[in-house]
Amino acid sequence: MDLVLQIIISGLLLGGIYALISIGLNIIFGVIKIVNLAHGDFLMMAMYAAFFLFTLKGIDPFVGVFIIFPAFVLLGVFIFRVMIKPLLGTAETEVNTIIATAGLGFVLQNLALMLWKSDIRAMETSMTGQSYEFFGIMLSSGRTWAFIVCLIVALLLYYVLMYTKIGTHIRAVSQDTDAATLMGINVDKIYTLTFAIGIGLVGVAGAIIAPTYNMYPTIGLYFNTMAFIIVVLGGLGSFTGALIGGLIIGLVEAFAGVLASAELAQVFSLLIFLVILFIRPEGIMGKGARV
Amino acid sequence: MSEKVLIVDNISKRFGGLQATNQVSFHVNQNEILGIIGPNGAGKSTLFNLITGFYFIDSGAITYKGERIDGLTPDKICHKGITRTFQVARPFGGLSVADNILVACLPKSKKVSEARERVHEVLKIVGLEKKADALGADLTTLERKRLELGKALATNPEVLLLDEVMTGLKPAEMDEMMELIKELRKTKTIVVVEHVMRVIMNISDRIIVLDHGQKIAEGLPKEIAEDPIVIEAYLGRGTK
Amino acid sequence: MKPDKTPLILGILAVALALVYFLPLQIYVRHILILTLLYAFLGTGWNLMCGYAGRLSLGHSAFVAVGAYTSLLLFANFGITPWIGMLAGGVFAVIVMLLIAYPSFRFGVKGPYFTLGSIALAEIVHNLLIYFREYTGGSLGMSLPYQPTSLALFQFDGKEPYYIIILVFWLAAVFLTWKMERTRYYLEAIREDDDAAAALGISVNKNLIIAACISAFLVAIGGTFYVQYYRYIDPYSIAGFTLSLNIALVVVIGGSGTILGPTIGSFLIIPITEILRMSLGASMPGLHLFLYGILLILCIIFLPKGITSIPGIMRAKKAKKDNQLNQGAEGVL
Repeated sequence: MDLVLQIIISGLLLGGIYALISIGLNIIFGVIKIVNLAHGDFLMMAMYAAFFLFTLKGIDPFVGVFIIFPAFVLLGVFIFRVMIKPLLGTAETEVNTIIATAGLGFVLQNLALMLWKSDIRAMETSMTGQSYEFFGIMLSSGRTWAFIVCLIVALLLYYVLMYTKIGTHIRAVSQDTDAATLMGINVDKIYTLTFAIGIGLVGVAGAIIAPTYNMYPTIGLYFNTMAFIIVVLGGLGSFTGALIGGLIIGLVEAFAGVLASAELAQVFSLLIFLVILFIRPEGIMGKGARV
Repeated sequence: MSEKVLIVDNISKRFGGLQATNQVSFHVNQNEILGIIGPNGAGKSTLFNLITGFYFIDSGAITYKGERIDGLTPDKICHKGITRTFQVARPFGGLSVADNILVACLPKSKKVSEARERVHEVLKIVGLEKKADALGADLTTLERKRLELGKALATNPEVLLLDEVMTGLKPAEMDEMMELIKELRKTKTIVVVEHVMRVIMNISDRIIVLDHGQKIAEGLPKEIAEDPIVIEAYLGRGTK
Repeated sequence: MKPDKTPLILGILAVALALVYFLPLQIYVRHILILTLLYAFLGTGWNLMCGYAGRLSLGHSAFVAVGAYTSLLLFANFGITPWIGMLAGGVFAVIVMLLIAYPSFRFGVKGPYFTLGSIALAEIVHNLLIYFREYTGGSLGMSLPYQPTSLALFQFDGKEPYYIIILVFWLAAVFLTWKMERTRYYLEAIREDDDAAAALGISVNKNLIIAACISAFLVAIGGTFYVQYYRYIDPYSIAGFTLSLNIALVVVIGGSGTILGPTIGSFLIIPITEILRMSLGASMPGLHLFLYGILLILCIIFLPKGITSIPGIMRAKKAKKDNQLNQGAEGVL
């Protein structure tokens, strides 16, 4: 029984991380309706950024976040203007943005490969190897803090989306761009902002999880797959869906990882993903385009 | 010879909370032009979708030339001889106008070369020969409507379901279109959904009126024009 | 209607490439040609489903892997000639394709969802190949048991026979695409608007499945060729996202949805990047892929329909201009 509880808690913590990772992807899809295949590679970049901030400047990732977030937001603005905006508004936008972001992911991956080679890096922060004990359950400290950050970010985001003017604008655009334009909302600005925030959030996620994972340039694909599974499972564009999806997948992985091997755990998650695609692509919470 | 070519028998369709089609029955005679009118939201396009297999009926039956066709997929129904146009024209945007027509000719042609030969003829009928190389996506709304009709004609249908083909046409163009439809009636059976009253009254042999998914009237154009129920449906209660 | 120039171009290309066989070329030049034709072949297969029918798959490496490992395992464990193994691999790939394509099309999985599903499929294959490491060698990969030159066993010490074989494969694939004229039109209509296509009598699912299965079969054959040529495969390179994207890239740049687009794209990209990889690969790993990525982005933004769309764009622009001139001449009504 203890073991089961342990696995559940680990799964939930992992789920929190996954949810954090996929929030950025979800927002971008929910509002701009494009799929960002470079998502995982942005995450990888953020992890490396946190790594270098720590090893070269001694800045702990949880502090480094405050540098990485704005940097990634700016990066998001740049990428949107240069690459995404020219592709919007045609019949082939969906396809073209997928290909373009796939290309971008390639660019980032191989940039990392050229700059930092394929050696695996790992960070040793004050938290590495630490765990807390909570009523007999071991909680890895890195993951616990990541989970907490995830909650904070989720709450912040929720607050912004629901209770601020800009958040309302974003939700309006995600539901009906034409109506939003008629209401005087500058859709282009909202798109840029949303994309930038989405990338910024990926930056945050990357920085936070950097201590918990070994990193190498191609780790992006692994996280990409995870993020997409979660987002589709929870419902593309649904905020709460991403959280629920993350928790579910975290639990699935935790159990599957114990009962079978790592690869089978992945296969299992992927199969669930395919089944969802067939049967209920809107996901658990999805009803199309609602943030 | 007035045989019943298409028989719609007591069909109903519900979408969640909305009863879009409610026990509608009517028939279409060979080589007649049947008009379907009704206020917005009456369920006219839904009717077309049900007949051509884009939605499946919840109950009732649809019979074409003695054979049940409800439950068949749209492509099979087209092969049987019923082709519909879409209310908002759906050209194949990435293909040229000529290729749009070619694609429409292909399913019923044994050879591609055979289909190719028919393309020019169809383009002439709808007046698009000069635009043969233009991309579907580059056409004006009007040209799209013409292409829509062209594609439908290219399938050589026996029954043609036209969904608001007149929308957006100038009066002179409407006259042309009406003449075309009357010409087509010689070899085909036509069902026309329209909003433009003078068109419907002019070309229809018979008219049925839908409102809120139900058939509320059926008869000759003159009868329909004077039917108080119809007038009320369009103009609201208390109108004399 | 303009006369179809494709068979002429194809014929000239085929003859030219066949003659190349006789030229005294450096080994690495032959290698580049072989790789170029291989990607042209893979791309042509991919193109049927993804270019014409518009169901973008970024997981086609799954089928390459199925083909490659099937023939490799059959040969390594049972001594079955790779020629038969190749056909078995093709059949197996078609089965895998049906398993995912049939429900996808039936449930109307389209657009980005379809693409994500295809990526998931490739990842499943990738993971399974690693999991069954006793049979496949896991992530370390597996080597082809060496045999001296033997046509029956599809292994050669020199490059020339490989060149001829891939040339024939490529020619067959392009020829097949060209021959399937009716299906091509149907697929294009389905790509543009599948409901409108159905309303005209086109059987959407049937045509999609046909395209998907032929696509999987061809690509699997490419997988077997890959194994026989490189004599070594590993899950990451043969079932990975990189290969899938490379195949897509070659077609997109050349012109997806055209008969010769994949070939043109391949000839444009593969030689340059292969040379880059060979000269800089050790010192700057990933540079050639980095450039691939940039190229892909530029292409999608400026020439989304690839190189072969240039004449079409010019023609359409001219038609538009002529139209405007005509309207000007008639005056305002």
